[in-house]
Amino acid sequence: MTHLALRNISKNFGDFVAVRDFNLDVKKGEFVSFLGPSGCGKTTTLRMIAGFEIPSAGTISLESLDITEKAPNQRNVGMVFQSYALFPNMTVAQNIGFGLQVRKEKESDIKDRVNEMLSIIHMEEKANSYPYQLSGGQMQRVALARALAIRPEVLLLDEPLSALDAKIRISLRAEIRSIQQRLGITAIYVTHDQEEALSLSDRIVVMNAGEMEQVGTPFEIYNFPTTRFVANFVGSLNTAEAEIVDPSKGALDMDGIRLESTNDFKGMSKGDKVTVAIRPERLSFLSEGKKENVFDAKVENITFLGSVVRVEVMIGKRKFSMDTFNRPSLSLPSIGDACKVTCSDKAVLILKA
Amino acid sequence: MSFLARLRKFPFWAWFWFLLGALYFILPLYATVAFSLSWDPADPFKAYERSFGDSRFWRSFLLSNGLALATIFASIILVVPTAYWIRLKLPQARRIVEFLTLMPFVVPAIILVFGMIRIYSTPFTIPFTDIVLMRPLTNFSLGTNILIVAGYMVLSMPYMYRSVDTGLRTVDIRTLTEAAQSLGASWFTIVTRIILPNIRTAMLSGALLTFAIVVGEVVLASFLGVPAFGPYLFLLGQHRAYEPAALSFVSFLLTWVAMGLIQLVSGGQGQVAGSH
Repeated sequence: MTHLALRNISKNFGDFVAVRDFNLDVKKGEFVSFLGPSGCGKTTTLRMIAGFEIPSAGTISLESLDITEKAPNQRNVGMVFQSYALFPNMTVAQNIGFGLQVRKEKESDIKDRVNEMLSIIHMEEKANSYPYQLSGGQMQRVALARALAIRPEVLLLDEPLSALDAKIRISLRAEIRSIQQRLGITAIYVTHDQEEALSLSDRIVVMNAGEMEQVGTPFEIYNFPTTRFVANFVGSLNTAEAEIVDPSKGALDMDGIRLESTNDFKGMSKGDKVTVAIRPERLSFLSEGKKENVFDAKVENITFLGSVVRVEVMIGKRKFSMDTFNRPSLSLPSIGDACKVTCSDKAVLILKA
Repeated sequence: MSFLARLRKFPFWAWFWFLLGALYFILPLYATVAFSLSWDPADPFKAYERSFGDSRFWRSFLLSNGLALATIFASIILVVPTAYWIRLKLPQARRIVEFLTLMPFVVPAIILVFGMIRIYSTPFTIPFTDIVLMRPLTNFSLGTNILIVAGYMVLSMPYMYRSVDTGLRTVDIRTLTEAAQSLGASWFTIVTRIILPNIRTAMLSGALLTFAIVVGEVVLASFLGVPAFGPYLFLLGQHRAYEPAALSFVSFLLTWVAMGLIQLVSGGQGQVAGSH
């Protein structure tokens, strides 16, 4: 059942259209990420859910109740900000208990809830510390606890990990996901980091220029991007122009090289120009096992990226990147060597504009 | 390290300018204190004893303190929400408001007081009728005190507004406001529990400046006929030699005590304890 529903939401700032015709249904307990580059409208959409912006058109409903025009303090929506936004004049415990105090809950209940939240974020010993005495990661955990303490209907997270260093980011995102699943709370997460969105979300909404490009599970978004933008934005991608040779067999021609694809060719006909895309990790050397497509290639460059080795090869006139797992037994050709590269017909995607 | 090397490392010019600056401030004060103590070599504190023994001193001093507190209180109620709202919702109005707050520098206090007397020395009537709603504010003590507090608010506006505005600039009020709103807080709660505590030092700075202006102010008090400390000091200066010097030094001391209090309250951090 739909918990949060956004219907035909648009937001204009003067002549600038920040969000255009946004539609989304979020189920209770679902973790949905808005993913996109800066200025794509993801934060504006989140702020409309929070009540900090009023949509120019459309409605927002929570538990079937229209909250489009409701003030932010009447929505019961918790929010975590990129800059933590902890109240500097209050201790950790006071910060967490603030929302409950505002709701005039009993002192004993507030104390119990604060202790419960402190134990969830493993910061019992910091209850009496002030925000300036905490690290960035600790501050964001307190901000999360503060937002959750009020038992919100929806938890909104606006790039909460952007200001943290890489290691803390990874550990905290796991913590956020684990807490969200444990409490079964509906969460909307805004990020421009594809790795964060892919690792955290039940579903991802990829946004571009104020519009939804694609909505799907991380698996769908990564493996079956439907637009060039999504394919380029999420993960690395090799793209090339090709011509449809036989739509019934999924045959394509890329600069005289034959390609096979299992992609849906509905609405396309022979001679149509399309963009094909292949993920670097879907390409491999022929020696590792033959697949449907085989290309003659020449090694241009080899880069070690830790767990992965990236090999750049020329296939025809085009440069393709190929990722292979690094392992001690890996034998790689030298730069300038001729080789054969292969990929399955499922790996060849056809993108919309 | 040799003596010469140490001498070369000594920041001579920094110390020179520092001491010159210190002398510039301390010498006049020293001269005032020395003069105030020179009335009677047998009783160096005679000027202070006389001043503190004068009942008019206490009356005027307490009245000015009361007026200063009322001005500070009213200014905070007016300025904090205004500056907060302008920063939050009307940033485009900031320049206009800043210009308005600077008007006391352009319009002399004498113009202000004559304007006030001109307007408030006539009764308030319902327009186009003779029905009197309120007698002239200048005709009774409370009315005059209200007028003088309003006048002091105008005079201290540049200092109070700028102090508060600077304080608001040091905290991310937009995000703090949104965080509080998302937790269910009303505007009143946000201002009293989030904004005010976080600009406490800035408000205290503004309050101190307001206090200093009000306690020493002469023009408004003289023309409105309020027996405040400023006119008393002015009158004393015209007829006596040593007591005004003693009272000037006492005023300095009061200011320092106030500054010390600000440091104490802010924990010497220049901002509220716990906020960085």
